[in-house]
Amino acid sequence: MRSFVLTYEPLFEIICIYCGLAFSQYLPLRAGVYSLATPGFVSIGAYAGAYAVLRLGLGAPAGAALATLLAGLVGLILALPLARLRGHFQTIATIAFMEIMVSLEFYAEPLTGGALGMNGIPKLVGAWQLLLFVVVLTGFLAVLKRTGIGRAFDAIRQDPTVARSLGIAIGRYHCLALALSGAVGGLSGSLLAYDTYSLMPDQFGFGMLVTALAAVILGGRSSVAGPIVGTIVLLLLPEVFRPFAEHRLLLQGALLILIIIYLPQGIVDTLGRRIGMRFAARRRALSLSDPRGHGVPAP
Amino acid sequence: MFAQQLLNGVVVGAVYALFSLGLTLVFGVHQILNLAHGAVLMWGAMIGLFIVTFTGLPLPAALALGMVLGGFLSVVLDLVAFQPLRSRQGDHLTTIVSSIGANLILISIAQRITGAQTLSFPFGTFPVRIYSEFGLRISLQQITIVAAVAVMIVALFLYLFRTRMGVEVRAVALNERMAMLLGVNPRFVYFQTFFIAGALAGAAGVILGVAFNAVSYQMGDAVMLQAFVVVVLGGMGSVPGAVCAGLFLGVVQTLTSVFISSQLSDAILFGLLFLLLLVRPTGLFAGLHAEARRV
Repeated sequence: MRSFVLTYEPLFEIICIYCGLAFSQYLPLRAGVYSLATPGFVSIGAYAGAYAVLRLGLGAPAGAALATLLAGLVGLILALPLARLRGHFQTIATIAFMEIMVSLEFYAEPLTGGALGMNGIPKLVGAWQLLLFVVVLTGFLAVLKRTGIGRAFDAIRQDPTVARSLGIAIGRYHCLALALSGAVGGLSGSLLAYDTYSLMPDQFGFGMLVTALAAVILGGRSSVAGPIVGTIVLLLLPEVFRPFAEHRLLLQGALLILIIIYLPQGIVDTLGRRIGMRFAARRRALSLSDPRGHGVPAP
Repeated sequence: MFAQQLLNGVVVGAVYALFSLGLTLVFGVHQILNLAHGAVLMWGAMIGLFIVTFTGLPLPAALALGMVLGGFLSVVLDLVAFQPLRSRQGDHLTTIVSSIGANLILISIAQRITGAQTLSFPFGTFPVRIYSEFGLRISLQQITIVAAVAVMIVALFLYLFRTRMGVEVRAVALNERMAMLLGVNPRFVYFQTFFIAGALAGAAGVILGVAFNAVSYQMGDAVMLQAFVVVVLGGMGSVPGAVCAGLFLGVVQTLTSVFISSQLSDAILFGLLFLLLLVRPTGLFAGLHAEARRV
């Protein structure tokens, strides 16, 4: 048992951190913003968190709070120009943002250590803290989904024109989604820094983006459980099927194409809809057998 | 010094233009942002390299084969990754995700084949000859690159604006449904645009591979990012825009990396892209849609 825990503890920690990354990617997609800026936010959070601990002498909680605030602020600022763009152009602009961050981190050697990276970060978080992080974040997003904000996000994603005609201020919600995405990404980034000892600029490039995006697409873009399930499946697959481990990228690519073609809603949302339909059918049957006819009318 | 760097920039920019033309064509006609386009360039370079190394065929044959196979690779990409999505009215994200997946697959196959090493062409694949004119050092290679790119671009223009097939492609760009009602076979148009895009990317790959004498599985990613800037600068879907923007970008990039900082060159470039998207998201030139109205 002990050896099992020791073997899988690092994997568990990585899964927790990537759940945060997936949530950061999930938030804008849910609100209908085609943002791929997550690795940029994560890198800001990671470097800010590491800098706070190593150079400013702050503790881990203060460092994480600083990282969250800073990345959230950057997300808010990024939202202003993105509001002027649509669809593909938002995607291109956010990819550009990600690349700007990577090349600035290479350039700003006094702050980030440049190509040599930032090393010797103490390990400040363990499995329990990371689990707590995922649970709290999931709870927060679940609550968000139930409030008016979550419903506004859904409306905007499904049809921006209708949402606007219903009096939803699209721009404001896009800003909120990106600021939240930035904050969550920054927090995950600082945890990544406190968990993995060292940071390199090119760690925050396309590879990270693909993993975060694949987790969201795989799990589902609408339910809160989607990104978690997606991350777990994505990171466990190479562990469960050892022969796949060396073909990890190949597998990820094939999975992305297959999921987007055959299961475009993702695992959780598709299953959720199936179960929902079964319940609806049951309710319909019940209402038919109800002699007073007080049943819920079937949709 | 300045004029020399200007010349080098034009040569690099010509290759960027060649590569970006395919990206902008597919986007302009089908509204697909093909993020796997860089992988097609990389495979074009690989194919060219393998042909020169293993069969000993001369470079022009390798270029031609690299173009043809690159074209077919791009068509296969369309059939596997994009066509199944077409019947369903998805959002922009579906094709982007699908092309990211295809990009990963193509890159990781190349990584396996090459053992993640950077390969180079055999010595003397292209004769080294340097002319000194007007105080500039111009190599035969640079002249050949610019001439080859110019020929291909002119051929693309003739095809798009002087042939029936080109008219059909532009009709689909304007409105796919209307074109279909008028008897255009959209499948054939998809085949053409993806084949042309792939062939141009394959050519750009072989040229880049020979020019820098380095072929690696990662070479597509870097060029892809430059192509974003070119395509946005020139206007998504604009063919003349891509040519001008490609040349402009090559010059700007060379000059900033020489006179400002090679490390900051990327940040400046993408900062420029960001600003441009804010000020003029449609690019500096009108899209293919506008051109399509001139028959």
